Amino acid sequence: MKARLLTSTAATIVALAFAASGANAAGKWDGADDLPTSPLACDASGAAAPEAAKPYDGGQPTNPPDKAGKEITLVDVPKLIGIGYFNATSKGMQDAAKELGNVKVTTDGPTEAKIDEQIKFIDNYITRGVDGILFAANDPVAIAPVLKKALSKGIHVVGYDANSTPDAREWFVNQAQFNGIGKAMMDSMAKEIGEDGSFAIVTSTFTTPNQARWIAEMQAYAAKCHPKMNWLETVEAQEDNNLSFNQATTLINKYGDKLKGLFGMTSVATPASAEAVTKAGLCGKVAVVGLATPNAMKPYVNAGCVKSVVLWNPVDLGYAATYVMRAVVDGKLKPGATSVEAGKLGKLNVVNGSEILLGPPFIYNKSNVDQFDF
Amino acid sequence: MSAAAIAGAARAQNGGLRRFASQEALLALAVIGLAVVVGFINPRFLATRNLSDLLLGNAYIAIAAIGMSMVIISGNIDISVGALIGVLATISGSLAVAGAPILVSWLVPLVLGVAVMAAQGAVVAYLRIPAIVVTLGMLSILKGGLISVTGGKWITDLPQNFHLADLSFLNVPMPVVIMVLATALAAVWMRYSASGRAIYATGGNAEAARLCGVNPQRTVVMVFALHGFFAGIATLVYATQLRVIQSTTPPGLELTVITASVVGGVSILGGVGTVVGSTLAAILIAEITSALVFINVSPYWTDALRGGLILATVIADILRRQRRAARGWSK
Repeated sequence: MKARLLTSTAATIVALAFAASGANAAGKWDGADDLPTSPLACDASGAAAPEAAKPYDGGQPTNPPDKAGKEITLVDVPKLIGIGYFNATSKGMQDAAKELGNVKVTTDGPTEAKIDEQIKFIDNYITRGVDGILFAANDPVAIAPVLKKALSKGIHVVGYDANSTPDAREWFVNQAQFNGIGKAMMDSMAKEIGEDGSFAIVTSTFTTPNQARWIAEMQAYAAKCHPKMNWLETVEAQEDNNLSFNQATTLINKYGDKLKGLFGMTSVATPASAEAVTKAGLCGKVAVVGLATPNAMKPYVNAGCVKSVVLWNPVDLGYAATYVMRAVVDGKLKPGATSVEAGKLGKLNVVNGSEILLGPPFIYNKSNVDQFDF
Repeated sequence: MSAAAIAGAARAQNGGLRRFASQEALLALAVIGLAVVVGFINPRFLATRNLSDLLLGNAYIAIAAIGMSMVIISGNIDISVGALIGVLATISGSLAVAGAPILVSWLVPLVLGVAVMAAQGAVVAYLRIPAIVVTLGMLSILKGGLISVTGGKWITDLPQNFHLADLSFLNVPMPVVIMVLATALAAVWMRYSASGRAIYATGGNAEAARLCGVNPQRTVVMVFALHGFFAGIATLVYATQLRVIQSTTPPGLELTVITASVVGGVSILGGVGTVVGSTLAAILIAEITSALVFINVSPYWTDALRGGLILATVIADILRRQRRAARGWSK
C-alpha cells in the first residue's frame, strides 16, 4: 500500500514533468494574458503606436462659475490620509499650487481607505462649497453618485491614482499604462544584463489581471525591442513575502550562472527577490528589476544590489492633477483636447478618451530613493 | 463501558505506536525518493545550497505544525494560527523598529502567542464551544484588527540584529537548528512524559482519559498554550528572515500548517500522530513546491498535488481505523 502510494506519486511527477516540458515551448510567457498588446517605440520617445482616438467620455459640470485666471479653492480627497503615498501626492499638489500662485488646495479625507467615509467627506465639501474636487477613489462605482452631484452643482472634478466611472469626473490623471510599465521594465533589465541576458519572472498568480497585462506588454515590447533576451520562466508566489523569497531562491538554484535577472511583478515579490539574491551572495551578478514601493527597496537599493525600481512618482502625480484642474477651470483643457501643459512636467498627453497620462514610469535608484517615504 | 473504553484506548495506542513509525518511515522515504527522482531529471536540485535553502525557507511551517499537531491530536483544530503569526510578526517588528531591546522584541511574540492560544483553549475546554468556531472567530478578529491598526503599512528599517533567522549554529542556519530541536524535544516529551501521553488520551477518548485520572480540560488548555508557544517561535523565524514584514496575514498559512500535520500522519479524528511526522511532511510539501519548478511542471499542479496528498493520507487513516475496529469487534 505504502510502496504503491510512493511509486504512483513518483510516476505522476515524472509523467507531469514530461507533459509540461512541451507546454513551455508555447509562444506565450507564463503569466501573460491573451489580450491585444500595444508595445511602445523602442527609443526614449516611447511613442505609442497610433490608435483610433477614443472620443471624450468624461462628465461636465453644470454651469460652473467662470474663474479663469482667478483664485480657486480646491479640496483633495485621497483614498485615505496619513500614509506616505498620499502624503507625497499631497506634497505635489502644494508644490503646484505654490508655482501657480492662484490655487489653494487642502487635503482632507478618511483615515482608513473606506468608500463610505470618503463619500461623506466629499459630500461635506460640496455643501461647504469649493471650486474643484481632486479625488483618488476607493471604489470606482460607489463614488460616482457623489461626484456627479458635485458636477451638477457646478464644481469641477478631476481624479488621480484611482479612477471612477468616466462620466462621474471630467478628467483622470493616469499614473501609468500597461505598455509604459512593460517598456520601463524591459529597458531597465536590458540595460543591466545586456541584450542577450536570460531572466525569470516572479509574479503573484498567472491570472492576476494587472500582472498578467504587464507581463503580456513586457513580452510584446521585448519581441519588438530586445529580441535576443531570453525568458526562462515565470513562477507564482501569491502576495506572500516568504513564498516569494522561496520561489526566487528556487529559481536562482535551478538556473545557476544562466540566470542574469529577476523581475518582481508585485510590491511583495520585488523586495523578496532582492532578498533572495542578497542571501545567495549574488548582488551584482543577478539583477532585480521590479515594481515596488521605495521604502521596501531602500536597503537593497542603498546596498547597490538593486538598480531599478519601477513605479511612478506620486509627487508628480499630485502635481499633474493640480495643473490639470487649473487648465480645466481656465478653459485650456476642453473635451477633445489631445494634450495639456503641466508646468515642469511639460506637455502631458490625453489617452483613452478622458485620461491624462503622467508620462513614462519613474525609476527609483540610489540617487533618489531616500527622498520618498511610502 | 468504562473498562471496554480503556481497553480500546490502550489497544488503539499500541497499534498506533507501531503505526507512527511506519508513517514517519513512509514520509522519510517520500522525501528521499522525490529528491532522487527530481535529482535524476535536474541534478542541480541536489546541490547542498538548494537543499539547505529549502529547509531554511520553510522551517517556520514545520515549527508551527508542531503545535498544530498537538492541538489536532488532542481532538481539536486551530485555524487562527496563520493570522496569529501575522499579528505577532507585526508586533515584534514594530517593537524592534521602535527601539525596544532585541530580546524583548523576540520574547513578546512568545508570551502573547501563549496568552492568546491559552485563552482560546480555555474557551474550548470550559465553555465547550467547538474549537473550529472559537478559532474561526479569532481568525477574523486578528485579521481585521491587524489591517485596521496598521492600515496595511509594512514594517521596514528593521535593525540588523533583529534578524534571528540570519544567525547560524555550527554552520547550520538558525531556523533549521530551531526546527530540529523543537521537533526532537516535542517528540520525546509527547511520547514519554505523563502530560504528553495525556494529549493522546484526551484526543483518543476524553471520557476514558478522565476515568484514568487525566483532566481533559486542563490538557486542552495546556495544548493550546504550547501551540501558542510554537506559533511564537515560528513567528520569530518567519519575521526575521526578510527585511520587510508585511502587515497582512500570510495568505493560507493556517491551511499549509494543518496540511503538514495531517499529511504527517496526525489523525484529524484525534488521538494519533507525531510531530516527527508533521515536520517530515512540512519538508515534503516544501520539496514538492520547489521540485515542480525544477522539473518545469506548471505551478497549477502544486495545489492539486497537495490536495491529493491530504486525501490519500486521510483515506489511508480512515481505512486503517475501520480495519482495526472490525478486528476489535470480532474478538
